[in-house]
Amino acid sequence: MRGIQLSLNQTQRLRLQTALELLETLSSKASLNASVTVADNIPVNYEDGVLKYKPEIGDIIVGRVIEVAPKRWRLEINFIQDAVLMLSSMTLPDGIQRRRTAVDELNMRSIFEEIDVVCAEVRGFQHDGSLHLQARSQKYGKLERGQLLTIPPYLVKRRKQHFHHLEQYGVDLIIGCNGFIWVGEHVEAKDDMVVDDQVNKSEQHSSKSRNWTSLEEQEQTHTPAETRQNICRIANAIRVLSTLGFNVTLDVIMETVYLSSSLNLEIHEMLGAEFCVLVAESEAERRSSSAKRKG
Amino acid sequence: MVGLSAGEKHFIQGGIAQDLRADGRKRLNYRPIYVETGVIPQADGSAKVKMGATEVIASVKLDLARPNPSQPGKGKVSLFVSCSATAGPMFEGRGSEELSAELSVALQRCLLGGKSGAGAAFDPSCLSIVDGKLCWDAYIDGLVVSADGNLLDALGAAIKAALTNTRVPVANVPAGASLDEDPDVDLSSQETTRIDTSGVPVIVTLTKVGRHYIVDATSEEESQMSSAVSVSINKERRICGLTKRGGAGLDPSIILDMISVASHVSEQLMNKLDSEIAAAEADEQDT
Repeated sequence: MRGIQLSLNQTQRLRLQTALELLETLSSKASLNASVTVADNIPVNYEDGVLKYKPEIGDIIVGRVIEVAPKRWRLEINFIQDAVLMLSSMTLPDGIQRRRTAVDELNMRSIFEEIDVVCAEVRGFQHDGSLHLQARSQKYGKLERGQLLTIPPYLVKRRKQHFHHLEQYGVDLIIGCNGFIWVGEHVEAKDDMVVDDQVNKSEQHSSKSRNWTSLEEQEQTHTPAETRQNICRIANAIRVLSTLGFNVTLDVIMETVYLSSSLNLEIHEMLGAEFCVLVAESEAERRSSSAKRKG
Repeated sequence: MVGLSAGEKHFIQGGIAQDLRADGRKRLNYRPIYVETGVIPQADGSAKVKMGATEVIASVKLDLARPNPSQPGKGKVSLFVSCSATAGPMFEGRGSEELSAELSVALQRCLLGGKSGAGAAFDPSCLSIVDGKLCWDAYIDGLVVSADGNLLDALGAAIKAALTNTRVPVANVPAGASLDEDPDVDLSSQETTRIDTSGVPVIVTLTKVGRHYIVDATSEEESQMSSAVSVSINKERRICGLTKRGGAGLDPSIILDMISVASHVSEQLMNKLDSEIAAAEADEQDT
């Protein structure tokens, strides 16, 4: 069963198998009059580059900075090579479009440091095959106040929208095409006009986080409890979908979240065996009912 | 383990302070535990335990040997843990030596008891065949296949399951055989006995992050810890071993508090493990 190792009891195992079989028959019906005969089984090592991320220009990706190099940042993006984000492809904190000076180069660390999580767009390929990224619009940039999830990249299909601001939860959801998904507290996109205040605030904020703040001060800046619950619920929904091998899109994630809250499940129970089986069943039901409507 | 940005660290610490961790667990919740026994058919007992993404395998192998002259009625038990390179690139080559040694020592302390044999997880006299002449040597091996935090608890659980799964062959020594040279031991009866594992303790690790303790930390949460205390507790709620890791110093009152919290959590964990192990054994007999 695709190596899903949860402690399922007999009935749960049967239910999961039925649901997965139903999904397989549905997906083969979708490919119209084609019939597939299995000729040979070739064992594939899943850790190879066979199922790695395949980048395309315009992809939204989420990555982690691993190096601050002269005039560029190097990001790790779940690809065989690291991606490069040039300083010139990044909006400056003051928002002015100008030529990058040596002072900008020295201040690169005030924008992104090592291990920061960054959202960017694929601009193109370099001659050696590595990716060039850009982060010119205000949507892109450093991601804080949330958690980063990793799922296999082939579960993310390219859509029109990869940034989702879930208003009723107050959560930002960024589904990176490279399999990195960011779920975090909603952050307003910074306004270009408010220049001086932003610079002062960001300086204060960064100096605060660098010094050792007392526990009370840190507690005041923590994410509010309700937003945190929503973040964790959405993150767990993504984890369950990834375990089952389903495509991760906003609709499926939201349905899984509704399912869990309608069942009044505790958030950590979403990772248990019972909910996993329920998600598989509800997905099978959803697809079979939409197939019936079409056909 | 790549490392976490300041924002992510802040998020994790905030979660622990608000009793809602990144995967929705409360501070004292364990991840779903998955136990499978008999995973290594050539070993006399084996088990695999998964806690979230942490996966460990324990095996028990028995060999005929001479008992220790100071303890003629008991078999000898040795325990060793190693980390597979599949757990991560940092475990390649000799990278895992330090961690393996640390885990081995902690487990030996918790499970093997003192020099006189007191406080051991199970009574080694069940391994004796002929008093003073012949016994079984038990080699308990732990292997870390995938590391996502809380290795000690997972290894403790795996060893408990492996010991429950162990079948000690019944050895028939022909009467009057001279045991000073290699005796002709008859193992053909295919009968086995089991080891009484009701006294095997469970290990509960409490990781201190900020002002609060969490149980079953993932490796992300462990990277934020100031210190961790691992307590091994048996069914009678008695402490069989205690280990403290981490650079920060702890006030004695905090250690006592952590011990009482661990003791409280251990009851749940013990019941969960016992039921999972029983289910796994039943499964194995079915297949």
